[in-house]
Amino acid sequence: MKQQTVCHVNDMQPGELRETELGRISIVVCKTPDGEFYAFTNKCIHQGGPLSKGKLCGAPQSDNPGEYTFCQDGEILRCPWHGREFNVKDDGRMLANPKHKLPSFPVKIEDDYVIVYK
Amino acid sequence: MSNNNQPPKKRIIDVDIHESATYKDLFKYLENPYRRYIEDANWIQEKHMPYTQPSVAGVNRADAVVPDGRPAGSDLPFMQEQLLDDIGHEYGILTGALDPSPSSMHGWYEMATALASAYNDWQIENWLEKDERLYGSVHINAEDRDGAIREIERVGSHPKMVQILLPIDDKMWGDPYYHPIYGAAQKHDLMIGMHHNEPPIYFGKWPRYFIEWHSLLPTSHMMQVTNMIFNGVFEKFPKLKLMMIEGGFTFVPHLMWKLDQQYNDLRHEVPWIKRKPSEIMKEHVRFCTQPSEELNKKDFLSVIDQMGSDEMICFATDYPHWDFDSPHRSLPSLDPDLKKKIFSENARAFYPKLK
Ligand code: FES
Repeated sequence: MKQQTVCHVNDMQPGELRETELGRISIVVCKTPDGEFYAFTNKCIHQGGPLSKGKLCGAPQSDNPGEYTFCQDGEILRCPWHGREFNVKDDGRMLANPKHKLPSFPVKIEDDYVIVYK
Repeated sequence: MSNNNQPPKKRIIDVDIHESATYKDLFKYLENPYRRYIEDANWIQEKHMPYTQPSVAGVNRADAVVPDGRPAGSDLPFMQEQLLDDIGHEYGILTGALDPSPSSMHGWYEMATALASAYNDWQIENWLEKDERLYGSVHINAEDRDGAIREIERVGSHPKMVQILLPIDDKMWGDPYYHPIYGAAQKHDLMIGMHHNEPPIYFGKWPRYFIEWHSLLPTSHMMQVTNMIFNGVFEKFPKLKLMMIEGGFTFVPHLMWKLDQQYNDLRHEVPWIKRKPSEIMKEHVRFCTQPSEELNKKDFLSVIDQMGSDEMICFATDYPHWDFDSPHRSLPSLDPDLKKKIFSENARAFYPKLK
């Protein structure tokens, strides 16, 4: 099992993204506002944009044209290139097309350190 | 001049790269009183679009912002590192960032003309003469036709200026108004480049949502091509060619079929047209791959097949914009010959100044 210690749990702010390496794979680690950590491949499944340069943001939702509600703030990973939205709380599924998702990596917390592994 | 004396990793002629300037960058090249108008009033560049911008860093790739915080596309060494050296470009053609935009001066023609001249001088000194791989576009204020022609005469013979970037305004491009500009272009071996400068559509209006506007970019391309062909521009200027930038290419077969059928039915109205419009397109018009839809190899080849030519599309990244197309990932895998044409040879055959 390959693993990589990323940082202390308090080193990242809720809503923050961080890039790390797991062997030769580049990983993006996300800390959501509830303090949970998630890790995904750092290459967007569309054209390979570096997700760690994107944003953890929210998702506008609506059933009526012209009306918006803003949900899931800090739980949506948005790519820095073409802006595709991936729900980190839903296994990295793409909002516009949930058939697609980002490859994800397990994260564990040991002695208050964030560790990604595969 | 520098280039990275290495053979390019991938033979790419990228026909759409956006360098960007602020007014401040242009001061050195801007005469008074124009410079003082901007400086003394601390005039900030206007924003053109009525939308918050599409991606997490406005219209740019978030990772293309210069590390010291300056805007994406404003720094040659960073562009070399992130694009030209990384991908190994053979050539890149600069297309500006519409900002400051001579076409947005709304009637203050003399200011727009002065800004276009300053922009061209800035581009030549800071980009074209600093990297052998970069070629440029002449910016003009087309609303001041005499001024535009003076500008073409002034910088158009520069060996690295390959096209005129014509702003889209309230007159379609086949209109006789533009013909003297085409004459000047032809004289200097300059092609016409169409980028969807604002106003984005013929009527100068914006749809409600950015997603609509971006989806409909090809419609403004279809309008200009149709208008130029039926107004006989390519009969009158046989050396003139048109590069349609950032409108994609999948609409091209439809346009060819449509124009040919219309010509069969309605030729009597435009008797100066002697060839099938699709033939004119094949000879005079090129389209960019970007922004490309997600096509598999079969779909991609079927579009080429429907065009009846594999010489009409050229590769573009649109760096550093948010809808950048990666040369590694945006197109399906293609046979080497076709790949070579799309990635470099079609553009090389199109621009006479590229060797
Ligand atoms: S590369 Fe991520 S959205 Fe295109």
